[in-house]
Amino acid sequence: MPAALTSARHKVDDVAQAIEFCFEKGWSDGLPVIPPTEAGVRRMLDAAKLEPNHQVAYITHRAVAITAEKVAINALMAGCKPEYMPVVVAAVKGIGDPLWSYHGPGTSTGGAGVLMIVNGPIARELDVNAGDNLFGPGWRANLTIGRAVRLIMRNVCGSRPGILDRGTLGHPGKLSYVIAENEADSPWTPLHVERGFRPEQSTVTVMAANGPHQFYNQLSNTAEGVLTTLADDMRISGGVMGQPNYVVVLAGEHMHTIAADGWTKADIRRFLFEHTQSSHAHLKKTQRMSGALKPGDETQMRPLVESPDDILIVAAGGRAGAFSAYIPGWGSKRSSQAVTKVVGGE
Amino acid sequence: MIELLDPTVEATTQSVAFVPRPASLEGKRVALIENTKFNSDRLLQKIGEILKSEYGAAETRMWRKKNSSVPAHEEIIEEVCKTCDVVVAGVGD
Repeated sequence: MPAALTSARHKVDDVAQAIEFCFEKGWSDGLPVIPPTEAGVRRMLDAAKLEPNHQVAYITHRAVAITAEKVAINALMAGCKPEYMPVVVAAVKGIGDPLWSYHGPGTSTGGAGVLMIVNGPIARELDVNAGDNLFGPGWRANLTIGRAVRLIMRNVCGSRPGILDRGTLGHPGKLSYVIAENEADSPWTPLHVERGFRPEQSTVTVMAANGPHQFYNQLSNTAEGVLTTLADDMRISGGVMGQPNYVVVLAGEHMHTIAADGWTKADIRRFLFEHTQSSHAHLKKTQRMSGALKPGDETQMRPLVESPDDILIVAAGGRAGAFSAYIPGWGSKRSSQAVTKVVGGE
Repeated sequence: MIELLDPTVEATTQSVAFVPRPASLEGKRVALIENTKFNSDRLLQKIGEILKSEYGAAETRMWRKKNSSVPAHEEIIEEVCKTCDVVVAGVGD
């Protein structure tokens, strides 16, 4: 006899009414949801091998426990297949981690999305897109896994736009913001291996993030050339003064150009750290740093991030096109850090 | 007929206040908790002055959080509980 589901129950006549009912109750992100029936929720829980009352995460700042039952209901509503559940569960653990620090990115006027980077074999098994149209539509796993996490933030943690989610602008990634690393074509160490996991493990890395910024360089055939353009684009970005985590997404052409020069991810990080610094004088003149100009400000430099390791490098995106992207993290690393959680192993 | 499971958490009622809200600020000691954002200290200072001059508060004292995105840390809360009657927690944004 499986454990009972304890959520409140609501009766409606048919599927059409169920979808409207979910809108009326304020349970939706603005798109229709899959009606959460017990049979569907059971399939989700079975796929994750979790008891309904299992606590997946505890959000200290909200004094809210996120149980497997609530994860399953919201994942079903988001349109997830049952086999996506372990990824959703890992991402929820990520946003429940004290280092991710829910209250800031969940609430802030800065309008953070939850960027999720999937690594390891599960990305291929679930067909999480790592290629063409990386941030765009077309892949069920990418669109529904992130949507599930946002619905959990809304329905379980109370992060409703205009109430406890006070994002001034927000961004489209707040609907879903999921990518995978293109480990099959990448010449580099995958993100999760750099962060201490084994290649055969699957992980989700969550980062509170602004939207992606695309940059263009079709002129250069050297690592330094491509990354010089990127650094120039990045230098004044995000909050500038906050020093958050950054993600840099290198797509096919740039990835091959940079790798052909023998540069590793560590080389890329060091170069970007050194070439994204701004002088105190510039930051003061452009009203980003407080205080009056003083001698030495022209030569005193402030790094965009605290350390090269705060830049996460991911190989992903289409094979054609001289485009890549950088993503400023929300706020500052003191307020929220990227966190990597293993998928499965409950 | 379809039965839907509720995706929200049913809140359990609990009191989270350290003390009941006072009827008046007359003679009360006011804690000002500043969130580190630019000018938030000046804003709270001004509010503190108004609470003294117009509402009869006895005194104000300011604390600074570790950063704006986290709750006030334990040391602040402990000391405020011992030395103050009411709290103004400000977001200087």
